[in-house]
Amino acid sequence: MSTAVWRIVAEREVSTRLRDKTFLGATAMSVLFVLGFFVITSILGSGSDEFDVAAASQDEERIARSAEQVLRASGVPDAEITVRRADSTGAAEALVRDGDADVALLAAGDGYTLVGDDDVDPALGAALTSAVAEDVLQTNADVQGVDLEALAQGSEVDQRLLDPNAVDSDARSGVAFAFALVFFMTALGFGMTIAQSVAREKESRVVEILAAAVPIRALLWGKIIGNTLLALGQVLLMVVVGLVGLAFTGRRELLTGIGWAVVAYIAFFVLGFLALAALWSVAGALASRQEDLQSTTLPGQMILLIPYFVSVLASEKVQTVVSMLPIASTMVMPGRMAKGDVPWWQVGVGIALTVLAAVVFVRIGSRLYERTLLRTGGRIGYREAFRLTA
Amino acid sequence: MLSVHDLTRAYGDATVLDGVSFDVRPGRVTGFVGANGAGKTTTMRIVVGVLAATRGEVTWDGAPITVEQRRRIGYMPEERGLYPKMRVREQLAFFGRLHGQSREEAEQRAHELLARLGLEEREHDVLETLSLGNQQRVQIAAALMHRPDALVLDEPFSGLDPIAVDSMVSLLRDEVSAQVPVLFSSHQLELVENLCDDLVILSRGRVVAAGAVEDLRRREADRFRVVLAQGSDAGTLRDLPELTVLDAAGPEALVELREGPPEKVLEIIQRTAPVAEFARVVRPLAQVYREVVR
Repeated sequence: MSTAVWRIVAEREVSTRLRDKTFLGATAMSVLFVLGFFVITSILGSGSDEFDVAAASQDEERIARSAEQVLRASGVPDAEITVRRADSTGAAEALVRDGDADVALLAAGDGYTLVGDDDVDPALGAALTSAVAEDVLQTNADVQGVDLEALAQGSEVDQRLLDPNAVDSDARSGVAFAFALVFFMTALGFGMTIAQSVAREKESRVVEILAAAVPIRALLWGKIIGNTLLALGQVLLMVVVGLVGLAFTGRRELLTGIGWAVVAYIAFFVLGFLALAALWSVAGALASRQEDLQSTTLPGQMILLIPYFVSVLASEKVQTVVSMLPIASTMVMPGRMAKGDVPWWQVGVGIALTVLAAVVFVRIGSRLYERTLLRTGGRIGYREAFRLTA
Repeated sequence: MLSVHDLTRAYGDATVLDGVSFDVRPGRVTGFVGANGAGKTTTMRIVVGVLAATRGEVTWDGAPITVEQRRRIGYMPEERGLYPKMRVREQLAFFGRLHGQSREEAEQRAHELLARLGLEEREHDVLETLSLGNQQRVQIAAALMHRPDALVLDEPFSGLDPIAVDSMVSLLRDEVSAQVPVLFSSHQLELVENLCDDLVILSRGRVVAAGAVEDLRRREADRFRVVLAQGSDAGTLRDLPELTVLDAAGPEALVELREGPPEKVLEIIQRTAPVAEFARVVRPLAQVYREVVR
């Protein structure tokens, strides 16, 4: 039984790329890049909520342990304090000096001293200070026969956040930025490859045999679908690695916050990519040689580059508008969704306009592609291509 | 039968093809010759449908050719067209599948053709690692993959050594059944002479001669070489009204018959002197070509 032409063409695109070492290398690099991101943030992050405190006596150890509760109550919910017991104050200081402990809590004269190496983490310092005060107050109160609870009545200070998500707002901005960057890189990379493969078919004249055997439109569809599948596969791979990375670095609360954004991102990605794929094929068809691609792919590069910079640099109001425009929406809308609530109608408008753009671009693209694919002997300009008749 | 009628193609003001008409008969190899720029490639591209004609039409068995019929043509373009970085057999199978073969059928057919061309051991190699001659064999195989109903081959043998040409010719003869019309263009007149049944000569976008090779050669009156017995003077033949002596030296003469069948004329000559040799002079195709193209 024979298979539809576009499927055979798409299969060839996919199988050729999957055997291409450059492509495999680039995919591996991007996965490593995502993994590297998590390794680095978890290394940087571990310093901020996991502490080692050296202690030389039982009192010191008890106070250090209670500091963990203080720290957790004051805005570092994941804080962990590990107490490192030393035999003497000298040994405790040695632990700090060697980097095995962040700070040593040592009894000195009337009170206590915090010994740091070159600095003491302010949050940890404050927590230990307050833990010392509480502990000593309790002891003193017992000695003086004072009811400490009665004394402290009404002095309790609680924290309440108006925007609890703001805690990980940096992380969400990071996710939004990653969305834009990944689409930009993937669409540009694949776009150039599509244009190159079309130009190569023209250059090697294989296109004559193809055009004599099958409808040119089927060739175009095969190319678009094959490459969209590849790009989607690559992005899914990166998204999965990213999500697993978030889960493993203990950011599950962030995961639930961006779930819908990820779903929207994949939808926007496919639509945005489809819309552009036809355009990249035309860029290849306009070229007669690989060198011509530099100028024929310029419009495609601009369509990606401008929204990318807008997504990174523009003000919130501009972003709201831009996030509904085709192509730009892929880079901006999922990011907005990750950062906060976006009205559903805006997402709908964004999707609808991208679908519309994809239909229009594919139509114009296939017309231009059909007219220019078999023309050799020099680069063809876009304006000239529009004027050409078959 | 594949025919073209009044094919005309203009690029802007330049007319590269001007009212070209000829037939490519089934089971016959039609040679398509002409100088560079005469319009051979343009004609062939119009026939297979990768270029549109400004005027005129291509017909199949008398009716305008359909898209489906066009796709059944095996085409070998002048500038070779294959994927340089694709494996040979996989590439042929790809073309077979584009023509509607199943994966297994296409794989099988590709293997069979490569074996016939002696490229069995290279079938899993990347095309560009093959010599140019071998790449050209693969190109022929690509045109034959789908057992085409007609063949259009643009300069199929250019750049091949005589042994490679022989193997390709024998492949073509085996593969092409009696119903298949074959149109092939070439600069090598000697090859066309050996291989072709019919000939179309194109000059500056027009057909200047077309027909069976034998007919084209005999378009003029028959010429004969006459050698009389030792000691005779061929000059005496000038007195015979049945023939014209074009050239005479000693017992030898080149004559053109004016009337009567050759056997009759021979009898008449034999009355003047014993004849050692009497043979028809076949004009080489190159001469026919030079005459019509001039």
